[in-house]
Amino acid sequence: MSASLSDWTERIVAAGAVPAAFVPPASGGRTDVEEFAGAELVEDGPLALHAILPGPAPAAVTFLDGIQQWAVVGYDGVVPIVRGYVAAAARRRGGDRRPRTIREAARELAVAPLTLLRASVRRAIEASGVAVVDVGADAAGQPGRMLAAAQQAVNAERVRIEIAVAEPVAERLAVGEWLVVDGLLSESARLAGHARTLGVIKSHSAQYFEGMEQQTALTAPAGTRTSVFRPRGRARHEVYSWYLRLWPWEGNDLLFGLLRIEARAHPETVAAATAVSGWLLAERAPLAAPDARWDRLLYPIHDVETYLRSRAPRDLLAGAASRLPKTGT
Amino acid sequence: MIDRASPSPILVGRVVATELKPATPHQFHFWTATETSMGIGAIVKVEGPGTGDQAGRIVYGVVTDAFAYSDLATPLHDVVGAEGDPARAADAPTVRQEIRLWTAAVLRQIPEEPLQPVPLGRVFVASDADVAAALRMDAYLSGATPTGIPVGLYTAGGLESPVYLDADFLLGPEAAHLNISGVSGLATKTSAVEFLLASIFQHFPAHKGRIAAVCFNVKGPDLCFLDQAGPLADEDRRRYERLGVTPEPFPEVRYYAPYKADGVNVNTLRTHPDLASSVEPLVWGLAEVLDYAEVLLNRDDIDAKADAFIDFLADRVLGRDFDDGFGGTHRVQSFADLDRLFRAIFDGLEVQSGGRGDMWRTHHIATIRKVRNRLSNITTRCKGLVADDGASSDLPWGAFEDRAVYVVDLANVDPLGQDLVFARIVSKLREHLERRDLGVGAVVVFVDELNKYASADGPDTYVKKMLLDISERGRYLGLVLFGAEQFRSQVHRRVVGNAGTQLFGRMDMDELATPGYQVLSPATKIKLATLPAGELMIRHPHFTQPIFVRFPRPAVLRGRDGVERFRPADDLPFADAVVRQLVRLDRGVRPNQVKDLIEGREEEDVRRAVAATRRARPADVAGFFRKSLGSRVTADTPRARTVVPPLNPISDDPY
Repeated sequence: MSASLSDWTERIVAAGAVPAAFVPPASGGRTDVEEFAGAELVEDGPLALHAILPGPAPAAVTFLDGIQQWAVVGYDGVVPIVRGYVAAAARRRGGDRRPRTIREAARELAVAPLTLLRASVRRAIEASGVAVVDVGADAAGQPGRMLAAAQQAVNAERVRIEIAVAEPVAERLAVGEWLVVDGLLSESARLAGHARTLGVIKSHSAQYFEGMEQQTALTAPAGTRTSVFRPRGRARHEVYSWYLRLWPWEGNDLLFGLLRIEARAHPETVAAATAVSGWLLAERAPLAAPDARWDRLLYPIHDVETYLRSRAPRDLLAGAASRLPKTGT
Repeated sequence: MIDRASPSPILVGRVVATELKPATPHQFHFWTATETSMGIGAIVKVEGPGTGDQAGRIVYGVVTDAFAYSDLATPLHDVVGAEGDPARAADAPTVRQEIRLWTAAVLRQIPEEPLQPVPLGRVFVASDADVAAALRMDAYLSGATPTGIPVGLYTAGGLESPVYLDADFLLGPEAAHLNISGVSGLATKTSAVEFLLASIFQHFPAHKGRIAAVCFNVKGPDLCFLDQAGPLADEDRRRYERLGVTPEPFPEVRYYAPYKADGVNVNTLRTHPDLASSVEPLVWGLAEVLDYAEVLLNRDDIDAKADAFIDFLADRVLGRDFDDGFGGTHRVQSFADLDRLFRAIFDGLEVQSGGRGDMWRTHHIATIRKVRNRLSNITTRCKGLVADDGASSDLPWGAFEDRAVYVVDLANVDPLGQDLVFARIVSKLREHLERRDLGVGAVVVFVDELNKYASADGPDTYVKKMLLDISERGRYLGLVLFGAEQFRSQVHRRVVGNAGTQLFGRMDMDELATPGYQVLSPATKIKLATLPAGELMIRHPHFTQPIFVRFPRPAVLRGRDGVERFRPADDLPFADAVVRQLVRLDRGVRPNQVKDLIEGREEEDVRRAVAATRRARPADVAGFFRKSLGSRVTADTPRARTVVPPLNPISDDPY
């Protein structure tokens, strides 16, 4: 991986690009888009709360997460050339309660508006063999707009690689085994239609309720879930969903400890929602601290993320304020 | 034996280095799986990445410390996760990620130059050959004249490898001496020495000559049954086989013990009728004691004047016809003769000067009285050791046998007598080794309770000086000290410091807190404080770090088991004890005849006759004994004095 890195980034510099080392603040994760989506209740009516007690987890659960990192590694004129890295892994937790990797994938990307690059620089990128993502000339103009486009491109690649890892895992799930995906389940038809696959969403960019129902959902006490509903809006594939509060929000903010769960759109999901919520509630321990999202981040998902980050290229991480070598003293 | 076959190396970990925990030329860190066979004291091999055709750097290390931690940032997070209930903490569906991080001290790097930091390579469990290379044993296990002495099995990582000491560094001349420390009661110190002596006797290289051992038994029956086989478990036999040592008791053992105060029963626990014949009495006369009178002088208040007077006695009086200056002639050969001389001197000074004379031959009467007091003290406190008649029964100076053990049992002897015996025997060993006429070229002297004889802070006794002398110069002579003690910190630092090889059994934590153990890591100290019986930590000149080994139980009968199996015989009445001694010399001696002979005789005369018979070992024991005893002299009853009445009755007149 690092061999190809030095390969193609050095090639574009040799072809005339100016070297750069800029890691944008948003390069390590996703950003939320505030929108109202709407929902249709499939349980209860109006939206109600159900008390949940922590319950036993299935004997084997596979957790899946992905990471994305990107940085500007060169400029051809004012056109930034971005190096991206996406990876996903599935780690299965069995009877010994220790997660072990069963499937993973990683990919390095060169992201740039190819048509805006000089021919020599473009040839250098294409000849290197690295996967190239052309963000298109529409994104050109201001470098800042170009960076936003690059981020979306890397994000899309991350989703693709997550699905590429998750779908085979879901297909091979043994009887009684579950797959828990960090993020939307509705991105994949196979995942959305699987009986023992869950999506766990920590970021609540889309709102599905208004008025009193919104208040009910967002002020749910710890250890409760909402009624099951069918989300509307941007979901690609139909799923059922519900909110689950892991930790008391009082004293923090409305979204503190609040998860949204996605599962197959099927009556059995409604029947199993309380039991599934019970073992997800039990996943509060161990705490995913010191991650700032510990209130919503399940430890096994944190574990997958830690695993992926330990294997990611070190030079794509955001550096300290000073670019001098960091010392431990 | 070293297994040179190269089994598949077992990968156990990987070296890691950070700015705060870097790898250095002397230390490195590596991680392993959570479930691992690694432990403190384990030896590992690091293989550095090679370049091209060149193999990478090989580094051997021994684990000195270990760490385990999880990704928990603060204990509070665990409390929050378990909602304050410790019982729930164990119920978490996922086990936290955790690490086993080990610190290892470098034993050896190949190549040795240039010395570089340990490469961040793969870590393997050390094989037999790796252990030999790591401990630099390859230098003395191979070649035309190997000098390896098996000391135990290094056991770690699911493997075990024999560990050898270098005879040149254990028994001289390069270095010498062995010191073993450990708390009492765990059957490690004495057992280790017994096993090591057996190993030495079986593996001492032929080209280095003949060797023997002199062991001072100073407590209980510890060393009283070295010639008897003890029980061995199958695991012990397997260890013996792995070490290439035959599990058998010592074939040649000679026992020496002084008599008890009665002068006929031997002062030892090895008195069972089946074994008693192998115990020789240890008896010394005035000449032997005066040679080592300095042992006595350091103990109390005797000064240089007394020292000079004792020299005078030894040089001018002992064994010569000596004129006391008062008209008497003395030939002093025994304590009894000496006491007669002292009486003659005191009487002479009293008569000559009317009680005011205080000098005799430039020696003050007070000095003479002091010396008489000290010397007569010996005959009182060490009555069984010191013979009044001047005859002695001693170790076979000049005729020591190869691979023989000479046990001197002093367990029930007065401390003064122990000092005297120790000083004299060690001095004689040194004299004979210097003249190369002992019969062997090297002697191992085993002394237990070294903190008593060479204490760090006690007075400078003759025995301590002697131990220091052995420690510092013994290796040139072939006089090797194997010392044992409970607290190493309480032994003179020059004695322990000169011990080339040091063994440590289970240690007391207070002892481990003393400065002598500062070089050990806390984990190594904990391991030392919890060592099971049969396991030791070794420091040896070839080993750059301490190594833990297990040794098999000695193949000899333990002292406690020995007294159970061979229950000591009760002390015999005087006549029966005399009979037993004579029967030992000649089974044809008739007990009743002997008893008739000694009936009514002075015990001192009988003892003298027995000693003479024992020394002469004549063909006709009974006849020689009768002759030595002399003819019976009947005492005459004094006639009653005839009282002559006074000529004049006493007058009643008061004037």
